[in-house]
Amino acid sequence: MQSNSSTSTADVSALVGRVARSDRAAFASLYQSTAPKLLGVVLRILNNRAWADEVIQDTYLKIWQKAEQFDAAKASPITWMVSIARNNAIDELRKHPAGRTTNDDELDQMAGRQPTAQDQVEDQQTVTRLNQCIDQLEKERQDMVRLAYLNGWSRDDLASQFGQPVNTVKTWLRRALQDIKGCLES
Amino acid sequence: MSERDDLDLQIAEYVLGTLPADERNALSARRAGDPTLDARILEWEQRLSPLADAVEPVEPGPEVFAKIERALDRDDSNVVALRRQVSRWRWSTALTSVAALILVAVLTFQPQPEKAPESFVAVFQHNDQQPAFLLTVNLNDRQLSIRPVTAEQQPDKSYQLWIKADELGPNPRSVGVLGDQFQIDREALSQYDPSLLRGATFGISVEPPGGSPTGQPTSPAIHGFLYPTGDAPADTSD
Repeated sequence: MQSNSSTSTADVSALVGRVARSDRAAFASLYQSTAPKLLGVVLRILNNRAWADEVIQDTYLKIWQKAEQFDAAKASPITWMVSIARNNAIDELRKHPAGRTTNDDELDQMAGRQPTAQDQVEDQQTVTRLNQCIDQLEKERQDMVRLAYLNGWSRDDLASQFGQPVNTVKTWLRRALQDIKGCLES
Repeated sequence: MSERDDLDLQIAEYVLGTLPADERNALSARRAGDPTLDARILEWEQRLSPLADAVEPVEPGPEVFAKIERALDRDDSNVVALRRQVSRWRWSTALTSVAALILVAVLTFQPQPEKAPESFVAVFQHNDQQPAFLLTVNLNDRQLSIRPVTAEQQPDKSYQLWIKADELGPNPRSVGVLGDQFQIDREALSQYDPSLLRGATFGISVEPPGGSPTGQPTSPAIHGFLYPTGDAPADTSD
């Protein structure tokens, strides 16, 4: 994705604005510059290329339809698109309860997390700030938040992996989210 | 924990993805008609989205975009365009709501040379409440007709038809007040260009007898349902 790493937030915002006016060329450019990111996000959640491709198709159709509702004052364009993709992927994942095998690879992926040379999701400062806030949580809660957000693990998945009752997982997650919010606002 | 905190954490879990399916679906459904909720979801998405930075991009196969383009071509973009018109109406009509309002959005086509004029009609209803209308417009002669689907006359109320288009400024403009039998002057749109009509949104509001006293609809539009129709406008019996 080197070729697209220079696509700035402002560029993506401008493209979404043109898509809102039914500009198919802008839509193609938007797809080119963002689809690899969105597919990465979706594939990590679904672990299944065929499902992921379908979710990506559905996601871009929604982006086409909803572009006019996008409000740059309320969200960055890539966050907005990633959120549509994640929502679709999680909805799809929950339709296949048996289709998701949680495994240690995913935990290893968590452990091996490193700052990436990623381009467009957020500016690096925001990424660093959020990671600092998450790193202040207890280790298990850090992993739970990341496994849920990045890999689409449900409360049940987390409960069995971490050997805790589902209600405890719920409490831990909510406490973690509250702490993250407080930390970001401090 | 306060109720507000509880809702905030429910929203946070929705964004995180761990909300159980029933709660998740309920929140999704509410979101469409609740701008405050939508704004709070966006806030949480913004908070957590830097996590996605850790994900490596994966190049999609060329067939994926080809399928998307085919879907858009197939869709003819009409449903899309219709949704846009509705949202434009919704977001730009800042009016207080008292009476139930029914928004009727109509998308008209230039007829194919060999075919009778076609119309694509959508009916929008407030909170699933009755009544509803179908409105058709023939772009060739700019004749309109309106017919009730489940609409009934309400005592001491009038239905009023509105048009809204970018070219006409930010506010809806009255087309006319419907008569006792839901009739309206078929020529009421003749002053407008077909190109304007093609992009316009139409609304119907419930007003005091004789029409809105303010010159603007007294209630906003919220929800809509599509009623596709292949009927030629006006006098087809069915």
